[in-house]
Amino acid sequence: MNPSASAPLLTLRRIAKNFGGVRALRGVDFDLAAGEVHALLGENGAGKSTLIKVVTGAHLPDDGEITVAGRTVRRLTPTLAQQLGIACIYQQPALFPDLTVAENIGLRLEHGGARRRIDWPARRARAKDLLVRVGAAIDPEAEVNELSMPEQQLVEIACAVGAGARIVIMDEPTASLTQREQARLFTVVRELRTAGVGVVYISHRLEEIFALADRVTVLRDGASVGTHDVKTMDEAGLIKLMVGREVAQLYPPAESPPGDVVLSLQNVGCAASGVRNVSLELRAGEVFGLAGLVGAGRTELARVLFGLTPADSGEIRLNGRAITLLSPQQAIELGLAYVPEDRRRHGVILEMPIAQNMTMAVHRRIFPGTWLRDGAELALALDYVRDLAVKCAGPDAPGGSLSGGNQQKVSLARWLATKPRVLILDEPTQGVDVGAKSEIHRIIRRLAKDGLAVLMISSDLPEVLGMSDRIGVMRGGALAAVLPGGSDAHTVMAAALGQETGKGAA
Amino acid sequence: MSAPANQPGWKAVFLRYEMLLFAVLVAEWLLFYYFGTTTNRRGVVVGFGTMDRQFDILRHSCEIGLLALALTPVIITAGIDLSVGSLLGLCAILFGKLWFDGGLPIPVAAGLTLVIGALAGGLNAGLITGLRLPPLIVTLGTYSLFRGLAEAITHGAITYTDFPASFLFVGQERWLGLPVQAWLFALVAVAVWLLVHRTVFGRSFRAIGFSPEGARYAGLPVERRVALVYVLAGLISALAAIIYTARLGQAKADAGTGYELFAITAVVLGGTSIFGGKGSVTGTLLGVALIAVLKSGLATLPVVIRLNAAEEISGLLTGALLLVALTGSVLPKILSGLRGRRQAG
Amino acid sequence: MKRYFRELSVSAALGIVLLGLAVFAPAFFQPQPLLSLVTREAPTLLVACGMALVIICRQIDISVGSQFSVCSVCAGLLAARGWPLALVVPASVGLGALMGAINGGLVAGLRLPSIVVTLATMVTLRQGLNLVRQGEFVNLPDNVQWFGLSQSAGQWTLVLSALAVLVVIGLAMRHWSAGRQVYAVGTNAEAARLAGIPPQRVTFLVFVFLGALTGLAAIMNIVQSPQVQPLSGAGLELKVIAAVVVGGVAIAGGRGNLWGAFAGLLLLACVSPALTHLHIEAYWEKAIQGAIILLAVVADGVRQRRAGP
Repeated sequence: MNPSASAPLLTLRRIAKNFGGVRALRGVDFDLAAGEVHALLGENGAGKSTLIKVVTGAHLPDDGEITVAGRTVRRLTPTLAQQLGIACIYQQPALFPDLTVAENIGLRLEHGGARRRIDWPARRARAKDLLVRVGAAIDPEAEVNELSMPEQQLVEIACAVGAGARIVIMDEPTASLTQREQARLFTVVRELRTAGVGVVYISHRLEEIFALADRVTVLRDGASVGTHDVKTMDEAGLIKLMVGREVAQLYPPAESPPGDVVLSLQNVGCAASGVRNVSLELRAGEVFGLAGLVGAGRTELARVLFGLTPADSGEIRLNGRAITLLSPQQAIELGLAYVPEDRRRHGVILEMPIAQNMTMAVHRRIFPGTWLRDGAELALALDYVRDLAVKCAGPDAPGGSLSGGNQQKVSLARWLATKPRVLILDEPTQGVDVGAKSEIHRIIRRLAKDGLAVLMISSDLPEVLGMSDRIGVMRGGALAAVLPGGSDAHTVMAAALGQETGKGAA
Repeated sequence: MSAPANQPGWKAVFLRYEMLLFAVLVAEWLLFYYFGTTTNRRGVVVGFGTMDRQFDILRHSCEIGLLALALTPVIITAGIDLSVGSLLGLCAILFGKLWFDGGLPIPVAAGLTLVIGALAGGLNAGLITGLRLPPLIVTLGTYSLFRGLAEAITHGAITYTDFPASFLFVGQERWLGLPVQAWLFALVAVAVWLLVHRTVFGRSFRAIGFSPEGARYAGLPVERRVALVYVLAGLISALAAIIYTARLGQAKADAGTGYELFAITAVVLGGTSIFGGKGSVTGTLLGVALIAVLKSGLATLPVVIRLNAAEEISGLLTGALLLVALTGSVLPKILSGLRGRRQAG
Repeated sequence: MKRYFRELSVSAALGIVLLGLAVFAPAFFQPQPLLSLVTREAPTLLVACGMALVIICRQIDISVGSQFSVCSVCAGLLAARGWPLALVVPASVGLGALMGAINGGLVAGLRLPSIVVTLATMVTLRQGLNLVRQGEFVNLPDNVQWFGLSQSAGQWTLVLSALAVLVVIGLAMRHWSAGRQVYAVGTNAEAARLAGIPPQRVTFLVFVFLGALTGLAAIMNIVQSPQVQPLSGAGLELKVIAAVVVGGVAIAGGRGNLWGAFAGLLLLACVSPALTHLHIEAYWEKAIQGAIILLAVVADGVRQRRAGP
């Protein structure tokens, strides 16, 4: 522990938070001193975002104690957090798109109610000043909807700086920044530190942490596994802390050799979603893991393959035949299936019964002539409920009544029902409890054994390492490397982080 | 609504919203029967209790009912169509014009009118799905456009009358004991019921209403399905126009003015959620019956007869009823929200 | 320049129409008929100001026509009973605000869609008025018309006070924090909440404000003639929404301003005299209004699509 002389700005003790049956946080300890950059590190799903929401008052913790500048806070609300000087820069800024930058900053910082004359020159001057301080070359008179995502983030940072925040949380602020913007951002962070602000810095990029942070706390499975002085750590040590357990034993082994090439991509790109020049071959019976940082273009690639954002360059071949994928309907007909990442919004329709969710992609097959056939639907649903061991009150129960893991199984069942040749899984076990997780892993392995080509996107590194026959690593919208199965965590991480941190013009 | 797999308990049968509506309908009918039926000096029963009045209720139900049937799928997809009443007026005028000025035989004119209705619905559909414009403002625009065209075509004055008796038969006579249009209405009701509850179309309407993004990720053709409900709404409005013309024996530009309110009220009253997803055609039919009995029944109450204000009172009550139904539909959510907040605090 | 493209293009269209009228129908610009035309639009302008706020806040109110009728008749009845205008005006404004509060309460409090709520209140109010008044006209005492002034003095009073209201609200929407809060809620209610602006309260208040302006507009309406028509506000909602939308206020909220709405209103007001001079009958007005609404939203939709996903 860093024996910081000053009283900590923020102390968290034994913070716990459950969502339904899922334990998102199970006793997190964390403290932040004035004038330090404290990195928070962990895999996706380790509980970082939940922890942030607790600190910003968005979530009320089930247990634990929050102390801000020596004062114990019972009930932290967003307003109270703001008053206490806590500011958070999210990846997706919550700005007013139709209003100018100056006004966005003004609306955040000016207090004094509705009966106030707006001093536009002062607003503009302050915005200009703050933007200069965070090193952003943004016209205060530009509308936010004209700005790129990193520019919007800089506006958020300017707001935090302007609010005189003492605790600034940055949630992967560099995920979409260019190298120059990033360098500027670092300068801003260092200035904040000099000014005595405590910065909680969340990032996947290890070299950033070494460049910027004073201390680092690693979260794993909702608990803090240690706080260390960055100077005493090296990359390998951090990766080991993050990954933690031995991975090999937990995952079902591959049982069959891969077969013929089913899907092949040649220089596939999609300008609208930032996918560039992806070439890969997917074989029957193999699990192809797709690793990479958040925002590296993995989900975007999946959306291209499912016809949601069609490719505008390159060639896609299915069983050797060139195909075009312009809509999900087309993709389904050709035998592609996509289990999306956000199952509550895209994967399952929460208000509809499980059975109806399961048959949604196979209307044409099980309801020939467009008439619903309850018997066929029920039979199919019961089959999959049994086959995938979905825990539910019955096939009539609404999707929203299930736990995360069981919702994921329903989403999976919907796509297995289409009898696909290629199955794309996007973060199949995110937010799923440990038991269901290994069940889903066994299902994936079994599907591959039955001859399916599986493309598995995952930010859970041990999962990628343990499940994949081959591992593709994406970076900046392109496929950076294809590694053999059994590669170690360090190699994959290194490929995902890349030698170069910037990704060129945004 | 959903396919019952295991046998439903008695609560599920008797406490269903539709049963509640039915009970209210029966109570309403009995109330009007009691207060609205009198015997005149010659000892003849007049007012609500007569068979003629029942047929009158049925006839009135048909036009509003058709519009409500048209709106049910629209609202299930979380859309809205304010233009159905105006389209009824435009189609009535065009039907009259095709027959009178165009010299076309009635069946041909009717067929063309249906095509025009579908095209007008297609205009709504194209703007909503093609340009992704909000249904509210699009149909508010066509609400004005369609009515305006009807007024422009007739110069606000021309009324088409003198339709042949063979056509008026549809709106004024009975067949197999019931008003002819009631059979047509029943036919459409069954068709819409089947569409919404028994086909994959209805299934996708629901999915789209609950979550358009979820439906897109499930591979449902969201745009085509949404377009379908608006085209269908146009088609059914045109049919309602023909029946309206046949009942009154004349086609005027103000035909169906304000009917959209009655139709939307019937749909919302029938338990279809204005936020989309949930909804049933049976509920809509009960909602229509409730409103038709109200409209017709009010006209038989002595106090209303004295005021000579049946139209006004029924409009007033329908508007109020819609507000009550809307409030009722969100009340459980708000109450549970309050309860949740208290638990958190 | 780019940001005010819509306002500028509406103004340009207005200029072209006026130019056309100047060439083909110079009679349009005779002072007295022109003043009368502008006077007739003065009440509409007030309602359009209020409607612009409601639409900027991402809501809509189609019950304003009925509110207008109710306020007109009630104000007329009070005046006929001998109430002085100094009392009739606040009564009418208060009544309008009350009706606006009903809409606002249902929309903001219960989070119901404003289109359906105001559809219901539109019909309830209209039929309620019909029921009570049975279509009767209200005869006003002599001193009410033109506020007891001469006709042209009264007309000038109306026009200038309507313009004053426009200018005050227009400036307030730009320079007063309450006005900016309406924009904030309309463009992103969630971000507004995070910035400490209560979206539900703002939504409620814009409905109340629209109601109050409608009450004031009703006064401006009744002083123009010796009698109050029972349904003077019929169709007003469409005219006002058309003006506001044509003037560049986005139906999706957060964009547009009152100057644009003003230009839109003037443009629509010129349609009818222009039609007369083009020998098109007045029956087309409603259809043209609908077409203009559609055109305006289509233009916005196309522009938005081109701007990006």
